[in-house]
Amino acid sequence: MAKGEEKTLGIDADKPGKAILLMGVEAIARGALEAGVGVATAYPGTPSSELIDRLSKVAKKFNMYVEWSINEKVALEIAGAASISGVRAITAMKQNGLSVALDFLSGLAYTGINKGLVLMVGDDAGALSSSNEQDSRHIARMLDLPLLEPATYQEAKDMAKWAFELSEKFSTVCILRGTTRILHGRGNVTLGELPEAKPEAVFDTSRSYAPDITFVTKIHANLHKSLTKISRVYDASPFNEYAGPENPELLVITSGTGWLYSSEAVKVLSAQKRVGILKLGTTWPLPNKLVAGYLMGAEKVLVVEEVDAFLENNIKERAADLRAGRTWTFFGKATGHIASFGEINPDKVINAISRILGRKYRARTSAYEKMRNDIAGSLLIPRELQFCAGCPHRATFWSIKDALRLDGRGGVVAGDIGCYSMAQGATGYSQTKTCHAMGSGVGVASGLGKLKQFGFRQPVLTVCGDSTFFHASIPALINSVHNESDFILLLLDNSGTAMTGFQPHPGIDRNAIGDSAPRVDAEKLCKALDIPVTIVDPYDVKQTRDEFLNILQGGNGPKVVICKRECALIRATREGALFKVKVNPDKCLGEKCGCNRYCTRVFGCPGIRWDRDTKKAEIDEAVCNGCGVCVHVCPRSAIDREARP
Amino acid sequence: MELTACKELETKVIQENLCTFCGACTGMCPYFVAYKGRIVVRDTCTISQGRCHNFCPRLSVDFNGVHKAIFGTSYRWDGMGNVLEVYIARSSDKAIRSKGQYGGVVTALMSFAMKEGFIDSAVLTCSGNDRLPEGALATTKKEILLRAGSSYIAAPTIGAFNSAAQSGNKGKMGVVGTPCQVLALANMRAAPSDMQDNVKKLGLTIGLFCTWALSSEEFIRFLEKKVPLSDIKKVDIPPPPANVFEIYTASGRISVPLDEIRRFIRPACTYCTDMTAEFADISVGAAEGIEGWNTILVRSEKGAELLRKAKRKKVLEIDTMPAQNLEHLKEASLLKKKRGLKNIIQKTGNADDLLYLKADTKTVKEFLNG
Repeated sequence: MAKGEEKTLGIDADKPGKAILLMGVEAIARGALEAGVGVATAYPGTPSSELIDRLSKVAKKFNMYVEWSINEKVALEIAGAASISGVRAITAMKQNGLSVALDFLSGLAYTGINKGLVLMVGDDAGALSSSNEQDSRHIARMLDLPLLEPATYQEAKDMAKWAFELSEKFSTVCILRGTTRILHGRGNVTLGELPEAKPEAVFDTSRSYAPDITFVTKIHANLHKSLTKISRVYDASPFNEYAGPENPELLVITSGTGWLYSSEAVKVLSAQKRVGILKLGTTWPLPNKLVAGYLMGAEKVLVVEEVDAFLENNIKERAADLRAGRTWTFFGKATGHIASFGEINPDKVINAISRILGRKYRARTSAYEKMRNDIAGSLLIPRELQFCAGCPHRATFWSIKDALRLDGRGGVVAGDIGCYSMAQGATGYSQTKTCHAMGSGVGVASGLGKLKQFGFRQPVLTVCGDSTFFHASIPALINSVHNESDFILLLLDNSGTAMTGFQPHPGIDRNAIGDSAPRVDAEKLCKALDIPVTIVDPYDVKQTRDEFLNILQGGNGPKVVICKRECALIRATREGALFKVKVNPDKCLGEKCGCNRYCTRVFGCPGIRWDRDTKKAEIDEAVCNGCGVCVHVCPRSAIDREARP
Repeated sequence: MELTACKELETKVIQENLCTFCGACTGMCPYFVAYKGRIVVRDTCTISQGRCHNFCPRLSVDFNGVHKAIFGTSYRWDGMGNVLEVYIARSSDKAIRSKGQYGGVVTALMSFAMKEGFIDSAVLTCSGNDRLPEGALATTKKEILLRAGSSYIAAPTIGAFNSAAQSGNKGKMGVVGTPCQVLALANMRAAPSDMQDNVKKLGLTIGLFCTWALSSEEFIRFLEKKVPLSDIKKVDIPPPPANVFEIYTASGRISVPLDEIRRFIRPACTYCTDMTAEFADISVGAAEGIEGWNTILVRSEKGAELLRKAKRKKVLEIDTMPAQNLEHLKEASLLKKKRGLKNIIQKTGNADDLLYLKADTKTVKEFLNG
């Protein structure tokens, strides 16, 4: 029984001293619980979404308020309100989300906070699930906010807890930054105490959180003074540590994932006697004294970090400020020893260190690389980024493509952020032509729809998911009504924030902790703006295409078509497939059809595969989610579907 | 780099304004779709030499090869193509005459061919969605009668033949078509045998005389402004010198000067050299100056047999064609052929490059100079 019990231990386990396996984000959630956090908010975004997901499950137990907010700015505002009313709060976002929250964050930096307020930002190094790989640490420097970067899972938990104290002590938001491998990797975390006391909320009206406009520069000056003090605190922080000889031949300064990779590299190269590693967990402001001390003991310095040369440039600046009458040779992103983009890994650090030390060691030989690629090529099916089997977006983009080809005026589709961002590729028939930020599809379409006076004659469409609609599309939509722009918004309503894991949003009738919640009706909202609204079922490809064509060829002004169909995965998980789909081998003419493998090559649902032996199509039952759309796609009507009970 | 068939049709025919909207590339695969007067390439096909490629009457037609495949002889540059017999005729049935164009010969012949077992169904052109003409399959005399009359608007009728053939329509089909549509069917008949599955079901081709056809979408919008579309009973372009487009409604006749109409002529018709549907079994048009009668050109043995039976069973009233009429018809055909060739040469800028028309250019030059 004891063993079974261990398996089920989660972030809420009241077992101080016990080590459990936690994901980095979970460790941060645990750290927040140990800090007595009262409010947690976020808009989902990889790799940050699990924070709220995990906290929402223990919210009732810890009397927490946890919400999925409409967007990152609002999430930070909710958390900010808690903090200034005496309740510790945490908010989480990905790097793109930080840009959304930035406006409020810069305000908050000047007004200060009350109880600890931690902003966890997940940076998607390598842009595995993002449209950019911007390095959020610059924001901390730009806004004079303290920054922490955990290097291990234990540190993620401990640092999160400490971040609240630091935030509170200096009355400022503390940014806790992790990259994907820290946040999504797992490691053992030794649990600490969970606090007994519950926070009590009250807004102390004797204090103001509105910056006095006449004193803004003075506030700014105070922020800088505060940073000097924080730097002193950092000098003594246990999150910074050094391992290596007193005067190393090469000093590696690193943060986050870079520390484990550097440690492994030094070990692999057996260079412990030549190389010292200074791991910094507190990266803005720099722990000035600490860094100066180690710099003075070295001549060659390599900085290892993900993504930008943030630490590297700050350290060079620090070195210049030392006026030590000596020079250092710095290695890192500027010298090309560490790539200034993408994720790093132990191999890259091994190569960098062996180059600097004049060692011939290569992490992997080119022969090995070739062998690896050959084997992978023979075993793995080449697959591009694509919509899941049965995805309503595929059906919608199929109809968009058909409608625009038939219309023949070179219609343009402005894209947006969500699963449907993939529509710029083959899976969405390369239909979307722009993709920038949450909600920007409507803004860009609204702009395209105002270019008639310059001879613009192409019809304009844009798409946004239901979650993206609420997140940031509405102001642009209102703008388009007032300024009489001409475009069609296709609201791809799949009933959830599908891309990040089906989180609810204001259009869903339940909240973060699973309780029922009022649903905001997008259709009513649009109608209240006097925008004509049509609702279609994307699975009915013919009706959807005809409706698109009708509206394309109809009158002016912004129009909304709600393409309503629940995400195939949500449905399939809950109640199974809609249809049982089968290819009738007597009707499918295979290679002889003249359709040139229309179902698999053009429609491209992964639920259909081409049998190399029979040279005909067949349904892959393990993959098919039973949407039944392919029945309308086959030119020979060779695909049958049967409603499931 | 080799172009795919799909891309070749798109770049060399559609984008070059050579597409006649005959529909020959549609109804066989999901890639080509006829929509409001345009052939739309819906998706990208990777086949380099498909049926679409072989059937299109504006990508490549080997006049000699096609003529040999159909009539067994070489193509002669004499204006009207292979002609066995020439008549004027009209349907003996008054009801057909009133619904059909001029003497209602096409309608009468098609229903007779079906009755006599020459064919089991007929592919005709009818008014579809939004009054835009489209191909339709008729399996009864009543359905044929319903689709009587010309619209002068280009229609993708051959697509209806293709899809009927492919969807397992039983028996032989007769097709009534304009010269470009008949040429597409001829291309099918001359295609490699592995592409002949559909055309094997072709039992009879009746060609219509055609000077040009109108662009559907634009012309309908124009027509709509003249008269409510639902009021139109019939339209007609009487032979010269009338020079009008006539719209018949319940309340009477509206005449529109042809010059107002000409701007709606499909650009592709400029490059057409065939007025009398030279590859049909029987070609039918108006009989100049003889109201209520048609001209008939019998081209094939099958056509001759059908006409003999129709005469014997008194389905048609048949008469000899006045010599002057035949002379005029020849002149008009020659005129269109020469004009078409000149326009082609003007487009290519090279008398040895006749676009889709694959023929011995020496013969063509002699013909043009003769």
